Amino acid sequence: MTSPETHLKVEGIYKAFQQSTYSEKVLSNVSFEVPKGSILGIIGKSGAGKSTLLRCLNGLEKPDTGKIYFEGIDITSLKSSELRAFRQKIGVVFQSFNLLSSRNVFKNIALPLELLGIPEPIQKDKIEKMLKLVGLLDKKDAYPSQLSGGQRQRVAIARALVVDSTLLLCDEFTSALDPHTTVEILELLQELNKTLGITIIFVTHDINVVKEIAQKVCVLDQGEIAEKGPVEKIFINPSHTVTKELLSELLKDNLPEFIQHKLHQKGQENDDLVLKLVFNSQTSTRPIIAELIQLYKVPINIMSGNLDHIGKETFGHLVISLKHNLTSSDQIIAFLTENHVEVLQLGYIKWQ
Amino acid sequence: MAIDQLILQGTLETLLMVFASTLIGGFIGLPLGILLYNTSENGLNPCKRTYQPLSLIINSTRSIPYIILTVLLIPFTRFMIGTSIGTISAIIPLSLAAALLIARSVEDALQAVPKGLSEVGVSLGATSLQTIIKIILPEGLPSIIAGITTVTINIVGYSAMAGTVGGGGLGDLAIRYGYQRYDTLLVFIIVVVLIVFVQAIQMFGQWCVNQCRH
Repeated sequence: MTSPETHLKVEGIYKAFQQSTYSEKVLSNVSFEVPKGSILGIIGKSGAGKSTLLRCLNGLEKPDTGKIYFEGIDITSLKSSELRAFRQKIGVVFQSFNLLSSRNVFKNIALPLELLGIPEPIQKDKIEKMLKLVGLLDKKDAYPSQLSGGQRQRVAIARALVVDSTLLLCDEFTSALDPHTTVEILELLQELNKTLGITIIFVTHDINVVKEIAQKVCVLDQGEIAEKGPVEKIFINPSHTVTKELLSELLKDNLPEFIQHKLHQKGQENDDLVLKLVFNSQTSTRPIIAELIQLYKVPINIMSGNLDHIGKETFGHLVISLKHNLTSSDQIIAFLTENHVEVLQLGYIKWQ
Repeated sequence: MAIDQLILQGTLETLLMVFASTLIGGFIGLPLGILLYNTSENGLNPCKRTYQPLSLIINSTRSIPYIILTVLLIPFTRFMIGTSIGTISAIIPLSLAAALLIARSVEDALQAVPKGLSEVGVSLGATSLQTIIKIILPEGLPSIIAGITTVTINIVGYSAMAGTVGGGGLGDLAIRYGYQRYDTLLVFIIVVVLIVFVQAIQMFGQWCVNQCRH
């Protein structure tokens, strides 16, 4: 059914919640594959069905139809005792950390090992190894109430991985953290992904998290996958409106209100033509704008812009305006397109 | 009997009744409370057919005024102890009252444990029993102790009515000697003893809560 490197494969999941009078569709026709050792980000607005999808992946919810294969085994057909054994193999990190306030750090990480009945001396070795990995060896006797949010999430990650889990599911794991701490936790996850080779699947509404660590992304909209693929590809060339909306948060590519109000679609001579240029890594290192100015002798006004990096790829956009002139405008657009810059005509502006 | 002897005897009877019935009530109420939690809507194994009848029985028994409950239980007490009169016999209805109060307060304490923590148990592959023993009970322990402390103090109040079945105790003393014979001094002394008594229970309970809350 699945190729050997596939860690998790989701096939046509459908899930609806039964209300008293009607049933509410939460997930529909969701399929994707996660290779071993990769990082998948599932992104969507609230109510898109992200958390339900994640709960299906560790068997907390059962999809109405569809299959989920974990290491080739269909978990939707498991009996409850088999499901428990399966859950012991995957780690889960929650938004609200969900640490036990009655246990100190060491004992919190010990919980999964206790449940498996692992002898205490072996427990101690494993826990200390995990504490070292997440950098909390000095906090092992502290109680969760004495820790910061970032430290609590580190404990939660250690707890999720202490039983040698190969798959880590993270549910909105950065929502309760400040931006600085988020970066630290993301770095930790990336490191764990590299050193331990664990597969990570996370859901988030924060496009930054996807940008920082995911290799592949699934955009979820109203329970369906709007688009999926490698992060660079989706980010540079988003096709779905939801993806574009989410990305605009990252690029802050919305024009200021007052300029948007002035934009109109019918251009006359002497109006300014407003173009959005989308760059990918092929073009972003070339001085295209300078070349443009030299070639066509047109003054160009840069209105907004942003460049960012995903993995090794650079991408970004510029919004420029230039004097509209029927012949030169067409030539300029042709020149840019030839040079692999995607050109979108936003409209025209009459200044004054 | 001299006043000091009366008070000493009453205190001992109250101590015996309160602690014996809270202890017996705890043995019955704790498992009952866990069962209520587990079968409730938020529990690990929701089961309306268990929860609702159980909840109804507990509520209706708790609605019966305590003194009526004592009288209703006379045949049962006689069956258990051999007599329905005396301090030991008074412990039977008190234990029942304590068990029901404790069951409810244990249920409340466990319901207050964040749902996310029981999901940790499930996602770690724990059985329901493991989740209750390893996660839910330790997390709910401070609230359980606080609840039992309140129940114990309630039982101190209930024990005043033990006099109707010859159970004795401080409350009975206050009613018979103080209220019915207008012995204001005696009532005053008993009230002071009871205040100290309740205060001590409260402080001890709080101390226990602080010990297990981190």
